[in-house]
Amino acid sequence: MLEKLIQLHQIKKVFPNTNIPAVDEITFSIEKGNICVFVGPSGCGKTTILRMINRLVEPTSGNIFIDGENVLNVDSDELRRRIGYVIQQIGLLPHRTIEQNVGLVPRLLKWPEAKITQRVVELLEIVGLDPAESAKKYPYQLSGGQMQRVGVARALAADPPIMLMDEPFGAVDPIVRGRLQDEFLRLQQEVKKTICFVTHDINEAIKMGDYIVVMNGGKLVQQGTPMEVLSNPVNHFVKDLIGDDRGVKLLDLTRAESLMTAVTESPAAANDCFCFIDAIQPVKMALEVMMKNDSDMVGIRRGKNVVGTLSWADIKKHIHKISGDQE
Amino acid sequence: MEVISSVLKFIVNNSSRIMEYTGNHLSLVLTVLVFSLILWIWVGLLISKYDRFANSVIGLANILFVIPSISLFGLFVTIPQLGLGRKSAALALIIYAMMPLVRSVYRGVKSVDPWVIDAGKGMGLSPAQILYQIQIPMAWPVVFAGIRVAVVMITGMATVATFIGERNLGRLIHHGITRGSAEMIIAGAVVVSVIALMLDYIMGLLEKKVTSPGLRHRSEDY
Ligand SMILES: Nc1ncnc2c1ncn2[C@@H]1O[C@H](COP(=O)(O)OP(=O)(O)OP(=O)(O)O)[C@@H](O)[C@H]1O
Ligand SMILES: [Mg+2]
Repeated sequence: MLEKLIQLHQIKKVFPNTNIPAVDEITFSIEKGNICVFVGPSGCGKTTILRMINRLVEPTSGNIFIDGENVLNVDSDELRRRIGYVIQQIGLLPHRTIEQNVGLVPRLLKWPEAKITQRVVELLEIVGLDPAESAKKYPYQLSGGQMQRVGVARALAADPPIMLMDEPFGAVDPIVRGRLQDEFLRLQQEVKKTICFVTHDINEAIKMGDYIVVMNGGKLVQQGTPMEVLSNPVNHFVKDLIGDDRGVKLLDLTRAESLMTAVTESPAAANDCFCFIDAIQPVKMALEVMMKNDSDMVGIRRGKNVVGTLSWADIKKHIHKISGDQE
Repeated sequence: MEVISSVLKFIVNNSSRIMEYTGNHLSLVLTVLVFSLILWIWVGLLISKYDRFANSVIGLANILFVIPSISLFGLFVTIPQLGLGRKSAALALIIYAMMPLVRSVYRGVKSVDPWVIDAGKGMGLSPAQILYQIQIPMAWPVVFAGIRVAVVMITGMATVATFIGERNLGRLIHHGITRGSAEMIIAGAVVVSVIALMLDYIMGLLEKKVTSPGLRHRSEDY
C-alpha cells in the first residue's frame, strides 16, 4: 500500500478583488516518494496550488492534509521549515553568500555550525557546483543556471521530506535544463522525496513526473501517470498540449521504468538479459542498447539491482496504444 | 594666493578660539546625529511596517524640512523649557534630519525585492527575522545615502545656531560678516566644510563595513 503523503480536498482559491477562481475545487493526492508534476499554461494556477501547500496562500475553501494532518493546525513558519521550496523567481538573498543562502534553513533550525558547513559542501556538490569556488560568492556573481542550482540546494538543505519546486529549471537553456533534469532524477533515486513540481513544459512534465496533473484556467483537466496522459488524453486541450508526436515523446521522455515489466511479475525474463539500462533513462536508450547488442530485451536496473525488463515488443505495443486513437 | 596665506595666518593666530568653536560645533552635530539616528530610523521602520501612516509621516517631514531654519531656531527659543542654547539648537536640527532619514529608511526597506522577502517567508523566516535578516541589511545602501545627506546638512545648518547662543563656527562666520572680514568668513566656512567632509568620509567607511559586498556592486552601477 502506497501512502498518500499530501492530500488536497476540493481546494479553491479566489483572490481578493477577483471573480474567477485562480484554483477551482481541485482534489488530488500525492504518494510518498513520488514526483507529481503540475502542468498547464501560464496563469492556470500552478504556483497558487504550491503556495497553498506551504500556506503562503490560504485557500478560500477546502482542506489540505500532510501526513494526515490538516496544515491549518500547524504553525505556518514551522510548516515551511519542514517543506523545501524552490520559488519560481529564485529569490536568493543578494546580501548573503552562497554558503549562507544554502545554510539558511539549517541555521533557522539551530543546527550546530560544523554540521551546517559540512551539509552546505555536500549540497553544492550534489547540485553540481564546486564548493571551493562558489561557497564564498554572492548571488550577483552567478549565472542564471547557477542561481537555480543554489535555489534547489537551499530547498534541500534541511533534508525536508517534501519539496515544492516551481519551475526550478526555468531560467536555463534547453541543454542545461536537460542535464539538470537528469541529475535531479538521479538524485531523487537516492533521496526519495515527495515532490510537487511545477512546469508549463509538457516535455518536462512527462520526463520528471511519476504522476501528472494537467490544469487549465484553475481547473484540473486530467490526472494520471505520464503513460496514461499520453495514451488517453481526455480532451482537445490535453491533446493539443501533448502535440502530435506522442510516440516520439514516449521514446524520448518516458522513463524505462514506467514501461517495464517488473521483475516480480516475470522473474525468468530478467535472467535472460545480458544488457541493461538505468530505470530513469528514457525508453529510447532501451532501443539503442538493444540495437547495439543485437538483443530484443534489456534489463532495467535501479542501482545494482535488476528491477524489471523491457522488450522491443513491449515498446511497440505501447506506441500502438498511444497512437491508436489518433485521427 | 594672498587670501590663502592671510586665512591661514588668521587660523594660526586664533587657533584656541577656533578649536573651541570647532569642539562645540562637533559636539552639537554628534549629539544631533545620535538622537536623530535612533529616533528617525525607528520611525522609518515603523512606517514601513504600518504603511497606512507612511504618507502622512513623510508629508510632515517634508513640511518641517522647508521651514526656514532661522525661524525654527527662533521659535524654539520662545518656548520656556528650551530657551537659548543647546536644547533649542539640537531639537531644531533633529527635526531637519527627519526628512532625509525617515524617507531613506522607508524607501530602503520598501526597495527590497518582494521575491526575496517571499523566498524568506517560504523558507520559514518569521516576520521579525525577515525584518532583521533581509529587509534591514538590504536597505543599508539606501539608508546610508540618507544618513550622509543628513550629516552634511546638519553640519552646515549648525552654523545658524550661533544666533541662539551656540558658540560654534557659525559665530566666526557671523562676526566675519559684521566686521567685513573675509579671512574670518573663509576660515569659518573652510573648517565647517572640513568637518562635513570628514564626517561624510567616516560614514562612508561605516557604510562599507555594514553593507554586504553582495549589494555593493549595485551602487557601482551608478
Ligand atoms: N496575489 C494574487 N492576487 C491576485 N491574483 C493573483 C495573485 N496571485 C496569482 N493571481 C492570479 O491567479 C491566477 C493563477 O496564478 P498562478 O501564479 O498560480 O499561475 P501559474 O500557473 O503559476 O502561472 P505561470 O506559469 O505564469 O507562473 C492568475 O490569473 C493570477 O493573475
Ligand atoms: Mg507560476
